[in-house]
Amino acid sequence: MAQFKIKDYAKIIRPQNFDELQLLAERVRGKTLKMVNSTAVGGGVAEILSRFIPLINELGVITKWEVIKGSGAFFGVTKAFHNALHGSKVDVYGQMFEIFRENNEENRRNMTFDEDFVVIHDPQPAGLIESKKKSKTKWVWRCHIDLSNPQPEIWNFLKGYVSKYDGSIFSTPWFAKELPIPQYFIFPAIDPLSEKNKDLTPSEVDKILRKYNIDRSRPIVTQISRFDRLKDPVGVIKAYKLAKKHTDCQLVLAGGSASDDPEGAEVLEEVKNEAGNDPDIHILSLPPFADLEINALQRASTIVMQKSLREGFGLTVTEALWKGKPVIASAIGGITLQVIHNFTGLLVHSVEGAAYQIRYLLNNPQVAERLGRYGKEQVREKFLITRILRNYLLLLIALDHPNENIIQL
Amino acid sequence: MKAKVPFVFYTSSQLVQITGKKAAHLKEFVEVMKEVEDSTIFYHIHHAYREHQFAPGAYSNDFAHWVGEELGESALAEKLANLSIKDVTSLSVLRSRIIEIVEEFLNNATEIRRAAPQHEFYFCKNIGFISKTKYQAWDLGEFCEMLKKVGLRSLFFHFFEARLRLNRRTNDFSDWIKADFNDAVLANKIEALDPYVYTLDELRDKIISLIKASQGFPWKKAVKWLSSKLKITQK
Repeated sequence: MAQFKIKDYAKIIRPQNFDELQLLAERVRGKTLKMVNSTAVGGGVAEILSRFIPLINELGVITKWEVIKGSGAFFGVTKAFHNALHGSKVDVYGQMFEIFRENNEENRRNMTFDEDFVVIHDPQPAGLIESKKKSKTKWVWRCHIDLSNPQPEIWNFLKGYVSKYDGSIFSTPWFAKELPIPQYFIFPAIDPLSEKNKDLTPSEVDKILRKYNIDRSRPIVTQISRFDRLKDPVGVIKAYKLAKKHTDCQLVLAGGSASDDPEGAEVLEEVKNEAGNDPDIHILSLPPFADLEINALQRASTIVMQKSLREGFGLTVTEALWKGKPVIASAIGGITLQVIHNFTGLLVHSVEGAAYQIRYLLNNPQVAERLGRYGKEQVREKFLITRILRNYLLLLIALDHPNENIIQL
Repeated sequence: MKAKVPFVFYTSSQLVQITGKKAAHLKEFVEVMKEVEDSTIFYHIHHAYREHQFAPGAYSNDFAHWVGEELGESALAEKLANLSIKDVTSLSVLRSRIIEIVEEFLNNATEIRRAAPQHEFYFCKNIGFISKTKYQAWDLGEFCEMLKKVGLRSLFFHFFEARLRLNRRTNDFSDWIKADFNDAVLANKIEALDPYVYTLDELRDKIISLIKASQGFPWKKAVKWLSSKLKITQK
């Protein structure tokens, strides 16, 4: 992975915002911070941490990243916790809580927490808070998942730990639960210099599109998402078919490989059935680490769709907006924080609504251009990694000024 | 002309805190509005304007946005969007005004619309961090130069935040111009700008052009320049 310096971002964000980052960094220079999560590679949390940590170190906050260890049984339990916290019904068995507790204790014995601040990511290492007792360290729990409708038994167990922290961070207000500790609101973000988001030359884009036999001379409507019913790929095909009765276009549905996911394979089959023999529907089952391909497909698109039925924050929407693409997306979850209807994109509620908006944008390129332009500016201001850096610098300052609404620096 | 004291540019950053309070319909909304902190009112009144600084939006504040988009009450949304902080002197007055508008609507409403789950109004609050920048100005020319250099958050701070959170009756720029240059006309012109029809970039440009227009032709500078040229010629 290419390693970037903070100055590389100075050309991307407003210069004044870059100055502000430096100004805030002066206030916490020399402070120490530890981030703890449960995996070093794979998954969105590890991806953003691997990019965030060198940058915050460069800003002067001495930051370490540690990953907890765990048995297969432990990760089986935390996977069940994850599903239960997302609202699925999970069978709770006797040993579950004990396995979680023991594994956290085992990690705790092998770790030290002498830093000024510790940020624990997600439920797996939440039990490390038991080390807080004697230290002056400020502890924060960073929750990346949707806690709006959790299975009560699991949440009540976890809440026992979470309530002991000095603060918590959630990605959207509706992911949060009522807690006796402060809850900060920090959006996820993308890295504009990553393989998935960096600028590409037209020839790089062409090369990838040729590989998939997609005609660049005709409009392309794309949805990037894994083959999952909650992403409604069949609904996207239906919307495309309705739109195509009036306006010529091609459809690209691209997502991760479904080979290791029985349900994914089933959905992929449903998608192929719905697509039938239409040569203008391109169903691409991408291999892992296909970031460059995703980048090129998004950049080549005339419109990007995200017609999900349920969505967390929806970083694929952020990626498309950053590429200046007009986005048509369902009015659900974190999408509504990013797509402001008729301003930074178009929000829809049905297959028919999506179909109409495809027709509308394909026939009104000036509107599509304006939505894409505003969408990109919104991402520049709110959804880039530099904003997460700013939020963290502010958070560290706020933790040293509890209960203050105005902090004079 | 030099000021007695320089204009020191400050900037403000914000961290958002979730209060855990939410409203699914307008009756609930009014109840919660009566109990939230002033920093909640401040956050929801201005964060959309502050964050969408690249283009003026349809709704200037979160309350109007929610009422219009999630409840579909367009007339009430327009009333709330039309709220201007210039008409009020403090956040508590602003809060009363919002409650009054919504209660008046509720008194005449035939139905109470409910937002879908996760589309409720989630009340947040703002933690403000105020810091001094390295920029300051001793005269109006220097002021215009510095205003171009400081971030839009600094403009936001002096034009909106100082007025509402620190209970000042005008914006900081007008205050300084009136006090240090005795130029009430220019100060009033800046104060009279309608910020809600501009982006922050445009607002900054408007302020600079008002200052430049007030300066007229720079006779003193021209004479100084001319005499320096004449001296060179005489030598």
